[in-house]
Amino acid sequence: MNVLDGLEALLFVADAPTTIEALAVALGLTEGQVAQGLEVLEARLEDKGSLKLIKIAGGYQFCTKPEFAEVVAKFLKPQGHKLGRGLMEVLAIVAYRQPVTIADVDQIRGVQSDYSLRALVERRLLHEVGRKQTPGRPVLYGTTQQFLHQFKLNDLADLPKLDVEGLALSPPNLFDVGL
Amino acid sequence: MAPRRELAETNPITALGVIAPPPIHIDSPKFEGSLATLFRCVKDHKVQLLDVPLAPVCEAYFAYLINATLDDLDEAAAALTVLAYLLERKAWALLPSLEPEPETEEPMELPASSAHEYGVAIEALKMWQEERSQNFFRSPDSGPEIYELPYSLGDVKPDDLARAFSRLLAKATLHPEANTAKARRSISQQMLVVLKAINTTWRSLEDLIDQPFTREDAVYFFLALLELVRLGQVGIRMEEESVQFARAKGVTK
Repeated sequence: MNVLDGLEALLFVADAPTTIEALAVALGLTEGQVAQGLEVLEARLEDKGSLKLIKIAGGYQFCTKPEFAEVVAKFLKPQGHKLGRGLMEVLAIVAYRQPVTIADVDQIRGVQSDYSLRALVERRLLHEVGRKQTPGRPVLYGTTQQFLHQFKLNDLADLPKLDVEGLALSPPNLFDVGL
Repeated sequence: MAPRRELAETNPITALGVIAPPPIHIDSPKFEGSLATLFRCVKDHKVQLLDVPLAPVCEAYFAYLINATLDDLDEAAAALTVLAYLLERKAWALLPSLEPEPETEEPMELPASSAHEYGVAIEALKMWQEERSQNFFRSPDSGPEIYELPYSLGDVKPDDLARAFSRLLAKATLHPEANTAKARRSISQQMLVVLKAINTTWRSLEDLIDQPFTREDAVYFFLALLELVRLGQVGIRMEEESVQFARAKGVTK
């Protein structure tokens, strides 16, 4: 079996980002061989066809090319549910400060953010990652895989660097917060 | 939770700035302390109010009103204010959050520059969100915008469905004949009922539903049928002036 064809078949049937490790196991190849194959496949799709291969949310996935967005949108009729400024602000704060409590976000924004946080949890962009070991044991929030997917990020390190003292870009380390 | 007013300490904290509420003690799985402490913790977002049941707190307040000599009306008023605040906050927290973000969520006064420092990130996220909306994936729930694969209603128009439903409602009995206290079915339960009633033979709505039926039965039946059509489980066609339904798999032409 041709490696590229095998990769294409697996990525076609997957409905979520697929990791190199999973592809290597399925095809019986080394991770290096799969990574090389993915590069070739990505370049091949770049030149022709309506699909492209992208690295997203820690894995690889097929998606339609932007030039076909209009025709696909006409077919699927997506409902416009883009995030407003307030939700985006809360999301950005959590992405950089995670794990954070509502109180932390409130302190940064200067307004109550519990509504926004709950809305982002319902959209599966944020989730509870534990509880802070302080009085009241408030809930700690962090970003999800869905967050990476919806913003076309591979991991949190893709976020732009901010010149703010004490900001952490790494994913939440649950051991640091006593969970 | 059992309100244990007798165990409450006299809390010197003046939760409302001037007058402290009475020492009503709250003991719940997620919070233990006085009413004043709960007020301060909620105000400072240190406690998730959704985890703290308020009914026992109200009961404790009523017990306080009945038993106390009420020499200090200010103290009782402070407790009432605290309770009102907590109830309002909890009611707000329980509101469905699919509504558009309220105006009050917008920063009225941004502190220092901390929120502004996220401006670059917010702009980047907005740009990526726009870029991402130009890519479509196999999974409809991968977002950011909700969509579903289109399904065909053939030559049936929404007006035809509305007329068929209207005819069905006209034949419904006005009052339930059987037990009015029967348990209300969910749409998913009703879908199972409809699937049992439907087979490969094309039939109209009136032929499919069990007779006699109430208007409520008709509404449930129709909604379940529509959902099954959407899921591709039930086929739909026009036969003369009548809308007919049959199982989608192996339907007779």
